Amino acid sequence: MKKYLGPLSKENPILVQTLGVCSALAVTAQLKPAVVMALSVTVVCACSNLIISLIRNTIPPRIRIIVQLLVVSFFVIVVDQVLQATLYDVSKLLSVFVGLIITNCIIMGRLEAFALSHKPLPSLMDGVMNGLGYGLVLVVVAFFRELFGSGTLWNHQVVPDSWYAAGYLNNGLMILPPMALILVGCLIWTQNAISN
Amino acid sequence: MKKFSNTYIFLYITALVTVIAVVLTLVSTGLKPRRDRNKEAEKCQQILRAAGHDIDRSKAVDAFSNLAVPLTDDGRQYQIVCADGTKGIAIRLDGKGLWGPIWGYAVLSEDGKTVKGVCFDHKSETPGLGAKITDEAFMKSFEGKKLYDKDGNYVSVRVLKPGTSAEVAEENRVDAISGATITSRGVDQMMKEELVLEINHF
Repeated sequence: MKKYLGPLSKENPILVQTLGVCSALAVTAQLKPAVVMALSVTVVCACSNLIISLIRNTIPPRIRIIVQLLVVSFFVIVVDQVLQATLYDVSKLLSVFVGLIITNCIIMGRLEAFALSHKPLPSLMDGVMNGLGYGLVLVVVAFFRELFGSGTLWNHQVVPDSWYAAGYLNNGLMILPPMALILVGCLIWTQNAISN
Repeated sequence: MKKFSNTYIFLYITALVTVIAVVLTLVSTGLKPRRDRNKEAEKCQQILRAAGHDIDRSKAVDAFSNLAVPLTDDGRQYQIVCADGTKGIAIRLDGKGLWGPIWGYAVLSEDGKTVKGVCFDHKSETPGLGAKITDEAFMKSFEGKKLYDKDGNYVSVRVLKPGTSAEVAEENRVDAISGATITSRGVDQMMKEELVLEINHF
C-alpha cells in the first residue's frame, strides 16, 4: 500500500515531476472547478490506466502512443458527456477544461511509465493515486487563490464585509495565472524542503 | 520484445477505432435526450431569471410555458410576465467573449426603453474573471437602466470601466468587470448590437 502513496508527496506529478502544470494554472482561480477537475482527471487516469494495462500485451509498441491517446480521448469524451447529462452545472463550470484533460501529460505519463508494464490492479491504484496527487495540489492552490483573490471559498463569502469597510482589498493578482505559477513554485519549494 | 507484423498493426488500430467509435456513438445518442432537456430547462430558467423570477431548474419549463408567449417563431423573442406583475419583452442576445461565445436574455419594459433585467451565460470565459458576467451582482446592475439617452438617441446600456467616458450618463451604463476587459467589451457590443436590431422591429 505504501508504495502507492508516493504521488501524494515525494513523487507528486505536479510538484516533483512538474507535469500537468498548465491545467493547474488554468482551473485554480476558484475551489469548485478545481475539485471537479481533480475528480475528472482521477477518473480518466484510473480508467485509462486500467484499460491500457488490460490490453498491454496486445499493443504493438510502434503505435502505442496512438492507442493510449485513443483510450484517453474515449474516457474524456465519456466523462464530458456524462457530466453534461447528469451534473449540468458542473459541466458548464469546467467547459473547455474537461476536453483539455486529453492533453494532460500526467495521464500519458502514467500510461507510458506504469500501465504498459504492470498488472491491471496496481495500474488502477497508480492511476487513482496520481489523479489524487494532482488534485491535492489543485485544491491547495485554488484555496489560496479564491480566498485572497475573491474573498470567498466554494463561492461563499468568508472575508467579512467589515474588513472591506475597513479598507481590505481582494488581491487581483491572485486570480490571474501568474500568481498560480508563483503559488505552484512555493509548493514545489516546500515539497523539496520536505523531500530533502 | 514481441514482433508485430504490419497487418496486425493495421487490423489492431482499425478494430480499436471502430469499437471506440461505436461505444461513443451509443453513449452520445443514449444521453442526448437528457442533455437536450437540460439545455431547454436552462434556457427557460435564464429567461425567467431575467424577468426576475427565481425558479428551480426542474420547474423552469412548466413555469415558462405559463408565463411566456413566443413573439417570433425562432425562439428569440417572448412576451413574459415579470416577477413584479408587469409585462415585458424577453430578447435573446448573442455575442463574443474572450474565449468563445457569450449569450443571454434581456427583458425590456413593454415600450422597449428600459431594461427590467438580464441574464448572461458563456461557453468558456475565465473562471474568476470573464465568467463573472454570470454573477448576480453584475446582472443586477443592469436593472432599471435606460436604452436611450435624454435626447432620445439609442445608446444601449454600455459596459464601461468605472470612471471613464463621463459623457455616458449613469442611467445608460454599468461598471465593467475589472480584469476582464475583453469579456466586458463583448457584453457591451452584444447589448448594443442585438438590442438595436430587435428594437427596430417594434
